[in-house]
Amino acid sequence: MNWFRLSVRQLRLIGQFIGLFCLCCFLVISCGTQQNSSGPNGSQGAGTGSGDGRVTIGTTQKPRILDPAEAYELRSLSLIHNMSDRLYTYAPGKTELSPQLATALPKVSADGLTYTIPVRKGVVFHDDTPFNAEAMAFSLRRFIENKGQPSFLLSDIVDSVKATGEYELTIKLKKPFAGFPSLLAFSGTCAVSPKAYKIGLQKFEPNTFVGTGPYKLAQYGTDSVRFDVFEKYWGEKPANKGINLQIYLNNAANLYSAFTTGAVDVAYLSLEPDQIRNLEQKAKSGNWQAISSEGSVISYMVLNVRQKPLDNPVVRQAIASVIDRQLINERVLYGQGQPLYSVVPTTFDVSKPVFKDAYGDGNVEKAKQLLQQAGYSATNPLKLQLWYPSSSPTRRLAADLLKAYATQKMGGILQFEVNTVEGATFFQDRSKGAYPTALLDWYPDFLDPDNYVQPFLQCTKGSPEKGCDDGGSQTQGLFYYNDLMNKLIDQQRKEQNPEARKQIFSQIQDLLAQDVPLIPLWQSKDYVFAQKAMTGVGIDPTQVLPYWTMKK
Amino acid sequence: MSRSRALQYYIFARLMLAPLMLWTIVTLVFLLLRATGDPVAAISGGRLPPEAASVLGTRLGLLDANGNRIPLLIQYFSYLGKLLQFDLGISLTSGEQPVWKVIWQYFPATVELTVFGLAIAFIVGVSIGIFSASRPGTVIDAGGRLFGIISYALPIFWVGMLLQLIFAVQLRWFPLGGRFPPNLSAPQGITGIYTLDSLLSGNFNQFFTAIHHLALPCLTLGILLSGIFERIVRVNLKQTLKADYVEAARARGVQERQILLAHALKNALIPVITVLGLTLASLLGGAVLTEVTFSWPGLGNQLYEAISLRDYATVQGVMVFFATIVVIASIAIDLINAYIDPRIRY
Repeated sequence: MNWFRLSVRQLRLIGQFIGLFCLCCFLVISCGTQQNSSGPNGSQGAGTGSGDGRVTIGTTQKPRILDPAEAYELRSLSLIHNMSDRLYTYAPGKTELSPQLATALPKVSADGLTYTIPVRKGVVFHDDTPFNAEAMAFSLRRFIENKGQPSFLLSDIVDSVKATGEYELTIKLKKPFAGFPSLLAFSGTCAVSPKAYKIGLQKFEPNTFVGTGPYKLAQYGTDSVRFDVFEKYWGEKPANKGINLQIYLNNAANLYSAFTTGAVDVAYLSLEPDQIRNLEQKAKSGNWQAISSEGSVISYMVLNVRQKPLDNPVVRQAIASVIDRQLINERVLYGQGQPLYSVVPTTFDVSKPVFKDAYGDGNVEKAKQLLQQAGYSATNPLKLQLWYPSSSPTRRLAADLLKAYATQKMGGILQFEVNTVEGATFFQDRSKGAYPTALLDWYPDFLDPDNYVQPFLQCTKGSPEKGCDDGGSQTQGLFYYNDLMNKLIDQQRKEQNPEARKQIFSQIQDLLAQDVPLIPLWQSKDYVFAQKAMTGVGIDPTQVLPYWTMKK
Repeated sequence: MSRSRALQYYIFARLMLAPLMLWTIVTLVFLLLRATGDPVAAISGGRLPPEAASVLGTRLGLLDANGNRIPLLIQYFSYLGKLLQFDLGISLTSGEQPVWKVIWQYFPATVELTVFGLAIAFIVGVSIGIFSASRPGTVIDAGGRLFGIISYALPIFWVGMLLQLIFAVQLRWFPLGGRFPPNLSAPQGITGIYTLDSLLSGNFNQFFTAIHHLALPCLTLGILLSGIFERIVRVNLKQTLKADYVEAARARGVQERQILLAHALKNALIPVITVLGLTLASLLGGAVLTEVTFSWPGLGNQLYEAISLRDYATVQGVMVFFATIVVIASIAIDLINAYIDPRIRY
């Protein structure tokens, strides 16, 4: 065998192979990049198309369904919100209701049961069907009767919806509810075209949307969505020429990299806390913009008042005393939240820092005193299980911090034992009283303080001795029953006078701080990141990112 | 019995066994899923009040009209009955669409990734295997062996992220993920495979854009799978090169290159066909890690989401679909092997 000749031939073959490979790579790269114009900051993005006036938004959240009668998660509702209008809405950054498809706030009857709402003229749906009171009534009836996941929000309260004039809507309630107008701002209660949709049990349209909003659906793909401006929109036209939504399926790392390389103009939901921290730091150097707003999501600790020793209010008060929210915000959240001292977040003016007034933060001495009063000591410590659903790394960190804090500061009198269980199992067993304490979060269905109180503290069946057998308190795992609390909740739901209602919420929060079936921990901050060239980027108080104000 | 007759009997027996295999898989998946938790709790996150949760449970076929739990056995036979009518159920994670529609939507992306990835794996693996086997005991042989071990051992998500970091973030030659840029219209066609649809419609811009997006995920998958092919080719080719007929060919003065490529390689590729077929079948069930790393909207990603949300219908439907592919693939491999290797008798 002639090794030299073989080697030359072999080398030639290898050279040809490498050359062909490099040529293929060159073709792929160069032909692929011809489709992409330069992104912001002169970077080469994957199709940001800076010259066409469209904005590219990156997210990890893939919408489940575009039918407002069935969508109950933010990832679906945020898209629906931008393609639709509701009777009422919130301006970005504001929590006051303003009319949208309604022309004024509702006229409420003296008994609080009848709401008369004037609706807007000159509005058309994306399919050119004219909008009127009958179309709005259809949409609300459909929301209720198709029995989608969020239907209970209206079906529990609404008795009937009728068009009592061409542009007048009348809604009758089963019982008075002062927060009802806020419920009409829920994204799913939007107007949908009677031509494109049907009323019927579970008759949903998953992949299309025909509403009245500033954008219409242009393309709904498996990993991207395109919205075009609706030329016949009744209101102010969007500041951009359209939106391209790029979905980085469940991959925050890709979203982060896409934003930092300029492949997307805006990044919203969901980035990891350390990624947010990183982006915030670099925003200070002027690389891009970091926009944050006070969120409406609260995190809290549930105490199962049926289980010993949590049936003793002194023990619950002791736990409330030991919590150091400032430390949690610093070590667990990296400052990406704010301490919460009431179940009602500071978004609402009725919020009162009752837990701060009553217990302070990390009030170790008071906690020890209360535990000793309850019969505990270093030789007879209180051992408490602390549970959280395993899908939340933030709550895992919070639980570990609480455990370490108690170990360090409480001299052995209080010991937390941290446990976790998979989410689905957790939520299934919570209402059965499986967990003595649990770390949870809550995001509101609608922006009214009632939605932070009634789902947790109301009990429709139970007793002070045995706790709650049926009601929100049982479903959420508190099992808390208090006649006065039930009465106060009913009262505030009926009370139409805002000042009087505020007083009732004050009493509710005071009672909460006294009974401590639940300990508020922190309130979220929402973050959105935008390239330097972007303007008009903000977050709605309902956590929705409004597209129409964004401009490049 | 003649060879072709034996083969026919064999195929017939395999086809008869296929429903049994599918039934076993369906039953196992059905039972295992129901041991993992309540889908109503998973989907709603515990936000629904009891009445609303009951309505959802009825929709999912878990509760009857009165809100009572339907016995597991009845759920099981009801599901089997629907399956026999090719009804895979409704997917809750994909907007209440029929599961077969969800599979149809996401499967083309998986097919595209799999086919291109395997093509790269085959070309790279077989080439390196040939070089390695033709130079035994040399640095090239050692290098080939090392390549096979390393590529097989490396975690796919790590390699994927590394390639993203270098080629997408630092060099910005390729996009980070996704099948197509959101500001362009994706190719519309029958197959849903963007490269194929764009070629069929003659739109070469779309074709190259789709290839551009495919490049990184396919390279990741391809390089990591090539190790398997490299090892098989190297080992089999080395054995084949020691065979008597090869010596005879050398003695007759046939060129080494011709012996390698025209004679020995064909025989060495027989086990590669088997591995190729099985790997293809397994990847078509969703290369989950690759798809998640590159945000590739394939069946693997969809299955991952369905499992997290306990979407029983989607998980069961996808598993049945995947099992069917494996059955068909394994029968096809046996047929191909029987065709190309006359020594094989069933």
